[in-house]
Amino acid sequence: MKTSWRSIGVVSLLLAGSLPGLVRAAAEPRLALPEFKDLAGKATESVVITMDPSLLGMAARFMDSSNAEDAAAIAVIKGLQGIYVRSFTFDRDDVYRPADVDAIRRQLADPAWKRVVETHSKKTHADVDIYLMTDGDKVRGLALIASEPRSLTIVNIVGAIDLDKLRKLEGQFGLPKIDIDSSKN
Amino acid sequence: MSDDLENRLTQALKPVAPREEFSARLLERVAAEARPQTATPKSRPRRTMPTWWLPAGLAASLLLAVGVRHHAAESQERLAGLAARQQVFAALALTNQKLDLAVRTVQSESRAAP
Amino acid sequence: MNGDEQFARARAGETDALVALIREHQPAIYSIALRMLGSREAAEDLTQEVFMQLGTKIGSIASKEHLRFWLRQVTANRAIDQLRHDARFPMQPLCEESPLFADGEQADPLLQHHLRGLLAELSAPARAVLVLRYQEDLDPVDIARTLEMPINTVKSHLKRSLEALRIRCGLTTV
Repeated sequence: MKTSWRSIGVVSLLLAGSLPGLVRAAAEPRLALPEFKDLAGKATESVVITMDPSLLGMAARFMDSSNAEDAAAIAVIKGLQGIYVRSFTFDRDDVYRPADVDAIRRQLADPAWKRVVETHSKKTHADVDIYLMTDGDKVRGLALIASEPRSLTIVNIVGAIDLDKLRKLEGQFGLPKIDIDSSKN
Repeated sequence: MSDDLENRLTQALKPVAPREEFSARLLERVAAEARPQTATPKSRPRRTMPTWWLPAGLAASLLLAVGVRHHAAESQERLAGLAARQQVFAALALTNQKLDLAVRTVQSESRAAP
Repeated sequence: MNGDEQFARARAGETDALVALIREHQPAIYSIALRMLGSREAAEDLTQEVFMQLGTKIGSIASKEHLRFWLRQVTANRAIDQLRHDARFPMQPLCEESPLFADGEQADPLLQHHLRGLLAELSAPARAVLVLRYQEDLDPVDIARTLEMPINTVKSHLKRSLEALRIRCGLTTV
């Protein structure tokens, strides 16, 4: 059974709608993300992406809507105000510490952020937490923290991200679709 | 001794190079078919300067200089735009990778649950 | 040009950088294809297919790590599909190939050749698991991700295949 991102989105919106008193209008969907220069120095691979509205606009201008991949990407980024990624891969376990992401988790503790997905794998020791910030029935932002033994990834997307459209990109960009219940093996 | 077979497998499966002629053919083909960059921006009309008041040679040099500067500026903008496009793709691909990780974990843990 | 710069330039569309990347990864991808499909011609076809596709996909590959993952995944899965569906690939011993990085002392070249031949008798998924484990040095978790296979299935393939190879090679554990 595939997890339905639409159902997660609906659940999170319902939760947000039922607790209006706790939503502070001042909370911003853009997180204060450090550059993590210390981690970058220890990483074998680093991906640091900081795209504000002007860079997103520039990227969209250089996408070809007649190309399927570009059109799919345009559909996702339309309406976004920013995409921010910090991702580091290391050549051994436990190079980074949980405390390295404490500053980010403190921001996500704001009631405006709702943790809609919290996964922990006993086998791979990978944790993935996904947060959404909503305003009524509108998504204002997404935050994702993926902690794996040799990898740390933080993603912050600002704006009305459509998770269904984002998931439809699975199968593009060289990432084959994941069939969890594969019976082929 | 229990690792002996595994060591032998590691030795037996060391990478081998393809034939040189195949390799050369492949690299040539990739170079020839490297996808042209998509989405060239709309061309900015080149500015023209009034030149009737300048000697012809100087006017031609100035036009050339302006043209070169515009071309360089357009190239830089194009490179920046294409780089921004790649960054979007990279960000979306990485986000989907981690969303996949979450899905797999949920599925795996629910299968493992009694 | 260092590796990160080379990757960034290939991703930005520079052909020379893309060609250099392909040259770097060609032995590993060709070897996966060869060990899976058992024939040089088939391995060359698959290798070409994978790298031609890389030419169009490179812009959407996030990192060098993602590139390695993508190359192995596409190659292994396509090889498995071919083995399952194509009668051109009956189980047969692998053709003779010299390793790229030959050791100064080849402890037992005949056994190594025999092992490569026995690999061809394994099922497609089991073969892929062994190649990724012992050629690419991936751990079972990464093999599971690459082949989109449950981790327990990976471990089971490893265990049963090694047991079968031990018996066939006359190697016993102490």
